[in-house]
Amino acid sequence: MDTVLLQAIINGLLLGGVYAAYSAGFSLIFGVMGVVNLAHGELIMLGAFTSYWMFAYFNMDPYLTTPFAMGFLFVFGYLMQKYIINRVIEQPHIMSYILTFGIHLMVANLALKFWTHDFRSITTSYSGLNAAFWGLHVPYSRLITFCLALFIIAALWFFLARTETGRAIRATSMDKEVARLMGVNIREIYAITFGIGAAITGLAGASISPFVIIYPEMGLDYTIIAFCVVVLGGMGYMPGALWGGLILGVAQSLTATYLSAGISVAITFLILFFMLIFRPTGIVGKGLEN
Amino acid sequence: MNRDKSMRRFWILFIIASVAVSLFPLVTTSEYYLRLAAIMLLWIGMAGCWNLMSGYTGYIDFGPVVYYGLGSYATAILMTKYAVSFFPSVIVAGVVAALIALPIGIPTLRLKGSYFAIATFAFAETMKQVALEFDRAFGVTFFEGSHGITLPLSGQSNLFFFYCVFVVTLAVVLLHYHIEHSKFGYGLKAIHEAEHAAEIAGVNTTGMKLRAYVTSAFFLGLLGGIEAYWITYITPEDVFNVHKTVQMVIMTLLGGMGTFLGPIVGASFLTLLQEWLGTTFVEDYMILVGAIIIVIILIAPRGIVGTIKEWKGIRFI
Repeated sequence: MDTVLLQAIINGLLLGGVYAAYSAGFSLIFGVMGVVNLAHGELIMLGAFTSYWMFAYFNMDPYLTTPFAMGFLFVFGYLMQKYIINRVIEQPHIMSYILTFGIHLMVANLALKFWTHDFRSITTSYSGLNAAFWGLHVPYSRLITFCLALFIIAALWFFLARTETGRAIRATSMDKEVARLMGVNIREIYAITFGIGAAITGLAGASISPFVIIYPEMGLDYTIIAFCVVVLGGMGYMPGALWGGLILGVAQSLTATYLSAGISVAITFLILFFMLIFRPTGIVGKGLEN
Repeated sequence: MNRDKSMRRFWILFIIASVAVSLFPLVTTSEYYLRLAAIMLLWIGMAGCWNLMSGYTGYIDFGPVVYYGLGSYATAILMTKYAVSFFPSVIVAGVVAALIALPIGIPTLRLKGSYFAIATFAFAETMKQVALEFDRAFGVTFFEGSHGITLPLSGQSNLFFFYCVFVVTLAVVLLHYHIEHSKFGYGLKAIHEAEHAAEIAGVNTTGMKLRAYVTSAFFLGLLGGIEAYWITYITPEDVFNVHKTVQMVIMTLLGGMGTFLGPIVGASFLTLLQEWLGTTFVEDYMILVGAIIIVIILIAPRGIVGTIKEWKGIRFI
């Protein structure tokens, strides 16, 4: 097989794993509450900045900062759902996405005010190093992040399938009235779900910090990618994030290699647009109808 | 009888208000205020276009800016590449926007709630990327990519553009009146309240949504064309900017979605606020807009007009 093609596919898979990691939280939040979280990219931004500041002040390795990013974002997400989004949760969904858009504007611009427009990056001892074999190159940091992404999704799946809280979350997403009758505190479950969604997103944000540019307005692009990934995989269907991420990653990497990088962004949106029209339940058809 | 009376009162007020606005340039000598007034009218028109579709039907369109941008580009390309004069270009721009809205609207308007919002958003971003990358990818010069298009210098004053925008915005506002008082409008509102029930009752829901969508695209195309000629320089980043969509949504939301006065009140208020804060504190303005959205959604989801109506039972029309 041709090395260029193989390299493009490997790059695409590595990229796709990262996409999957930060889209899983988006899918979880949508699946359980029907909230399209337009402030999703800001959670990634906050995770990346947590990592950046800990690196800058304590010289910590970005991968070691992930638990802190996770903890911080859990609290942030939990409080945001509990005190803000829960108040409109019973109203039409429109309200929640305009509300989260307001949160997006506020968080991004507050970050801009305090942290300025500067582009920041984290340089570690292993930045730019590759594992090379058979003429192919795999950057170490991307490989670590990829493995971490698979781990996040597996852990999330395990949590939802095997724990008491996970069961309550699944019950709520299936039928919230019946769940309420069974003694589930719906609002608390919503807050915990948002907290968990935010936590894994923050973890993803921290784990991509070694190789992306970190700046306050980075969020919106990530929100858009998360849309595409989740629509491809099926909204609210957790393993779908993995399928969607990998397919999108490979598609982007192939178009960037063989056509041009700019067109690969247009291709992303075209895929999203046509998926919504022809197959809104995702590639494997297990997403939510509405 | 009562209805006739209130309708007559509405028309008298409406005519007085529009004559007053149209005479505004005679009162002021300052180019600054004239320009500000024209910008305000432009936003009233744009927010109104969004309200026509999303405010009345409840289908949240997150990509209206795409028709504004297409209007700008159609005008710019016609004027620079085919040497068409201004007025025909703008009319064609509106028609182009409407003709593109038709095939886009037919499939997307069948999508429900969140999916419609995401699809329209994706379409707007796709068009921005196409405008940015088309030339480089296919080796032509059509959209001119990221360095944008410079239109022929108009040599027209702000006064000229004030009246151009005034005419289009007046048409949008009159359309709101038509919607409030026609079967079409009741249909749109029925879609908002209960789409299934409306369908069962014999309302052609998809047809109605499509009419509203295409109409709003047409007027956005006109406004985009006018503004392109006014500022004489357009880039994809500017005319397809998602913040234009945000402004339309927030202005309408602030004023009151699905109301006649909503976009007028919201757009006037926010334009003035932006003029006051936005020039000196750009970031503070955006933070404040975020805060305003959160507060409106939590406290007064019906907007200024809707909330006053609810409190006092006042009928504005």
